Amino acid sequence: MSVKLVKPEGGSVPPSGGRRPGQPGMLARINRAIYRQAPEVWDNLRPATLGHNIYKSIYRTTAFPKTERERSEAFFNSFLLHIQPAKIEKHALRFTYTFGLGLLSMYLFLLLTISGLMLMFVYVPSTEQAYSRMLDLRSAVSFGGILRGMHFWSANAMIAVVFFHMCRVFYTGAYKPPREFNWVVGVILMVLTLVLGFTGYLLPWDQLAFWAITVGAGIAGKANWVSDHINALAPPNAPKMPAIGDLMRWGLLGSDVVGQEALIRFYVLHVAVLPVILTGFIVYHMWRIRKDGGISSPKESPE
Amino acid sequence: MKRVREEEIFPRNPNKTYGLMELVKGSSTRVDRGPDDMVSSWPHLLIREAALFAGCFAAMLALAVFFPPPLEAPANPLRPPNPAKAPWYFLGLQELVAYDAFWGGLGIPGLVVVALMAIPYVDRHHSGIGRWFAKSRRTATTLWTMYVVVVIVLIIIGVYFRGPNWAWFWPGEMPKEVQ
Repeated sequence: MSVKLVKPEGGSVPPSGGRRPGQPGMLARINRAIYRQAPEVWDNLRPATLGHNIYKSIYRTTAFPKTERERSEAFFNSFLLHIQPAKIEKHALRFTYTFGLGLLSMYLFLLLTISGLMLMFVYVPSTEQAYSRMLDLRSAVSFGGILRGMHFWSANAMIAVVFFHMCRVFYTGAYKPPREFNWVVGVILMVLTLVLGFTGYLLPWDQLAFWAITVGAGIAGKANWVSDHINALAPPNAPKMPAIGDLMRWGLLGSDVVGQEALIRFYVLHVAVLPVILTGFIVYHMWRIRKDGGISSPKESPE
Repeated sequence: MKRVREEEIFPRNPNKTYGLMELVKGSSTRVDRGPDDMVSSWPHLLIREAALFAGCFAAMLALAVFFPPPLEAPANPLRPPNPAKAPWYFLGLQELVAYDAFWGGLGIPGLVVVALMAIPYVDRHHSGIGRWFAKSRRTATTLWTMYVVVVIVLIIIGVYFRGPNWAWFWPGEMPKEVQ
């Protein structure tokens, strides 16, 4: 350790590093000065105290609340938990009422986000490389196969779980006032989930992916029916409406066929645009649950 | 003397039909047996949520380990498989497209989405909320079940019963590979 000394006025620094025999060293003097001015400073640095203070600065409540007040505060003061009520109706906790399907959809989205971000470190959205990166995941990347497997299964499970969640909400009448609009948001979430699944389907760039997207984009092209019928009804010299299905298909693929343009479009939609939109709607959906009075309860109905 | 002190702390109000009888020790009446049947989210909700996440994660991990996702040959625009199938969740649509291109692929699905969004504005009767298959909602329950059955049956047909040229095949008769 080196302590730089200010040269005393009118004298030279002694060779012992500034200490004259019989005088306390610089550190000892600093220590004494601090202790005189603020004796608690050293106490604050004791590991137990420091640890406690750091914990308290992050979480204002005890880790294992015992009283009712502390239990409420544990939810109320936590960033992650505060979106949920501190007290909840016993009925809402019954597993056979919700089967946890809504939360399960969000958990699957969380798993998909995490595994998807990790896959992005390996994947290249190029028709030349995409497929070989899939092979790398299986053989060269540590746990790559499991990572892709979790992404694949979570995606399929999410589509099914979102549908089952919608069935639960219908069968329990949970879309009725005041929750009408949250049902509408839920339908939007389901459509977004399907589109996310569809855009992700192309990325492996194998036969399954390529031809599934060819079929899917072909379905978008069927919208030509609308413009064809309008044009047939219009007077002969009226301006023709463009083929709306072809426009939609072209917008999706960026070309007439599934190729590099389609791959980059699907990739950007899949990893950036749609997840952000979906996250926004999920946040709104959950905020709305609280604003509509929590999840539905038999107490709301005369029956 | 004692009487006077009580009066000072709890002044009498002629509008009140009740008065302080006695001070007793004990918890408030709301604790654990409130009239609205509430419990603390900590730990009752938290533990269930944590368990659900653990189960969800374990299930996805198990599926990933024991059933690896499919990866076919690299994409080849010159070799279309027969039949070329959309992802399973769109096979219901593909099945409908086989009957009518526009109505199957876009018309009916679009109307279904609009109809789904319209449900809470059509069915506003405040009955049967919070109960599974409430008796008073028999019509709604039946209609929804019909919708679910149609969706699932169409998907099952698309996945298991459609072979080359979108022709009907029973599961045993499905040709292995047609190019």
